[in-house]
Amino acid sequence: MLQFDRVNLDAQTEKLRAEVRAFLADNKAHLTQPNSDFVTGHDPAFSQKLGERGWIGMTWPKEYGGGERSFFERYVVTEEILAAGAPVSAHWIADRQSGPLLLRYGTHAQRQTYLPQIAGGQAFFSIGMSEPDTGSDLASVRTTAIREGDAYRVNGTKIWTTDAHRNHFIICLVRTEAAAENRHAGLSQIIIDLKNDGAQIRPIANMAGGEDFNEVVFEDVVIPADRVVGEPGNGWEQVTSELAYERSGPERFLSSFRVFVELIRACGDDPAPHQAAAIGRIAAHIMTMRRMSISVAGMLEQDKDVGVEAALVKELGNNFEKVLPEIARLAAPERGAVQAFRKTFEETLLLSPSFTLRGGTREILRGVIARGLGLR
Amino acid sequence: MTDANTEVRQLILDSAAKIFTDHCDKPLLDAAEQGQFPGGLWQLVADNGFDQLGTAGSGTSAGDMYAFIQLCGEHAVPLPIAETLIVNSWAPGQGIASFGELSGDVIKGVAWGREAARVVGLARDSLEVTVVETPEVVEQGVSLAGEPRDTVSAAGGATITLSADPYAQAALTRICLMAGGLQTVLDLGLQFAAERIQFGRAISKFQAIQHSLAVVAAEVAAAKRAAYSAVDALDDNRFVFEVAASKARVGEAVGIVAEQVHQIHGAMGFTHEHRLHHYSRRIWSWRDEWGNEFYWQSLLGQHLAQLGADQAWPFIATRG
Ligand SMILES: Cc1cc2nc3c(=O)[nH]c(=O)nc-3n(C[C@H](O)[C@H](O)[C@H](O)COP(=O)(O)OP(=O)(O)OC[C@H]3O[C@@H](n4cnc5c(N)ncnc54)[C@H](O)[C@@H]3O)c2cc1C
Repeated sequence: MLQFDRVNLDAQTEKLRAEVRAFLADNKAHLTQPNSDFVTGHDPAFSQKLGERGWIGMTWPKEYGGGERSFFERYVVTEEILAAGAPVSAHWIADRQSGPLLLRYGTHAQRQTYLPQIAGGQAFFSIGMSEPDTGSDLASVRTTAIREGDAYRVNGTKIWTTDAHRNHFIICLVRTEAAAENRHAGLSQIIIDLKNDGAQIRPIANMAGGEDFNEVVFEDVVIPADRVVGEPGNGWEQVTSELAYERSGPERFLSSFRVFVELIRACGDDPAPHQAAAIGRIAAHIMTMRRMSISVAGMLEQDKDVGVEAALVKELGNNFEKVLPEIARLAAPERGAVQAFRKTFEETLLLSPSFTLRGGTREILRGVIARGLGLR
Repeated sequence: MTDANTEVRQLILDSAAKIFTDHCDKPLLDAAEQGQFPGGLWQLVADNGFDQLGTAGSGTSAGDMYAFIQLCGEHAVPLPIAETLIVNSWAPGQGIASFGELSGDVIKGVAWGREAARVVGLARDSLEVTVVETPEVVEQGVSLAGEPRDTVSAAGGATITLSADPYAQAALTRICLMAGGLQTVLDLGLQFAAERIQFGRAISKFQAIQHSLAVVAAEVAAAKRAAYSAVDALDDNRFVFEVAASKARVGEAVGIVAEQVHQIHGAMGFTHEHRLHHYSRRIWSWRDEWGNEFYWQSLLGQHLAQLGADQAWPFIATRG
């Protein structure tokens, strides 16, 4: 039950790590505001450079622009760029979940259309799950897509849609058939072009001073039928599989990482005992979660279902992302060279309420783990 | 690790688990906590060669030895078996052996020192240890788990020098014991929650209980993964730091897991009759032996501070 196998990354993967570090060192201009939160920092030029290096869509088949590399190689690239605090939000969702979703369930034509663009760092995707009256209870979505000949007419509102105002496409979970006894039936996923299909997009300011998420309104938006992902009516299975990808990566425990780095800098090379302990405590947690996360990459590599394990690492990771700044603030020196620490700490603290919400709340994840334990 | 080795390990663990399930029961644990050495159980362990795991010629590895120690934690085995194994790995020998912390001319905190034919005294930050044959017991004591922790004389001891930090190796035994004990506490929580009926249904059906067990399961999974990391670093120059991270992390899990699972057990878990406390008291005591979380966190943090902020990530991003 809940086994996190040991993994040793091979020499090829470590060589790649060195390449990523060299690349980051050469691209300091994109790293003037390091932040390990994957939503903070939207830099299409940087994403395109990653695409050119073959670091987006790394595990996908070559025929769709992928690199046919292992999940461990992808893991190493993602953890290195997050730890450096690079701006990754532009391509992140497309690389992490929209691409894999299309690869698994999309039609050949959909794969040919979208995957090479994603892998090149040129097509960015948003997630269209949440609605004003649909949060954790995802099956309650009300946005409808009604078949009319060769097209679907879409009506409804999506909300909290990260980067909808910047990205090119959104994959929406919609009702293609009226809700019935089985509420998981009649749901589908449909690709909508955010620039050209007539979606109305309104940014929503967040409490941290950013405008990253949006309200997206569809009023009689007509979408060609071939934009339905996979089979109409199969939306629930698809969205569940997408969520496992959404929850599985190192962005679920590294969001606060730069606070840790600045804490060490602020404490200097001769820390007081309580400062050393705070640094060591944080390191112990990160070292452990990182290894668990690599175990999940290993499960993905073996094509195993990672639903429960990914939820478990996300649960540990998101909680610790919030605890980390709490430990750091009491350990950091109050005087001296603390400006960089204060800035990073304050930015992260203001973002921290979102850590245990996005991608499934803490309460929902605990439910997933409980199901894995056979309790429900 | 090759498949053949995996098979050997599984055989060892299966046969040991059978012995512990059959013999390491509640009456034996109660008697041991009253100071009665379970000689019969020791004999079974020795007859099966479990006291020689990992030694040259045993056909088993140090990894097998630590996996076995974890199993002993799962069963709360009330023997100085982890101690005997470690001492045998330092200085081959037969019979019961143990170790403790060298303090002047005595060795303190020796598990079952009163039964030991050999006791090793070790100290923080030193590769030198003192081996004493049939030492004189100066004072008998017990841990909060009722495990004998004696003070013995270091007189007449011989000094030997080890290649890997003995204090960290001592801590690693506690890490593995805790990893095993934590698993059993989780299992007891799951079992009790499924069996206890209130408001007409099993309490495992209440969301509050489910969430509590989910938290416990996550902590136990983290603790086990952290334990493997320290074992995997045995031959590595990072060994002490991996032990530091591991003992700090596992120790934190102990506080959370013991608290939550006692809560789930209600009053029943607070009785002497229920076996939960044999495990919860042990994991509570093991987290304080051979350096508590603060000690190991500080050691690790000091090292990171010396490496510098920009070397923190390269330090963390290991291959294994
Ligand atoms: C920064 C950020 C970015 C986001 N980006 C996107 C995006 O790009 N696309 C997208 O579709 N969504 C996005 N979301 C939305 C996110 O998925 C939702 O916030 C999340 O699913 C929870 O929904 P909700 O906010 O409506 O809260 P609710 O579901 O209303 O929950 C409120 C509280 O009740 C608890 N709760 C709900 N149900 C239960 C239950 N059964 N048992 C116990 N407790 C329960 C929750 O855990 C939570 O604490 C984003 C959210 C944030 C914060």
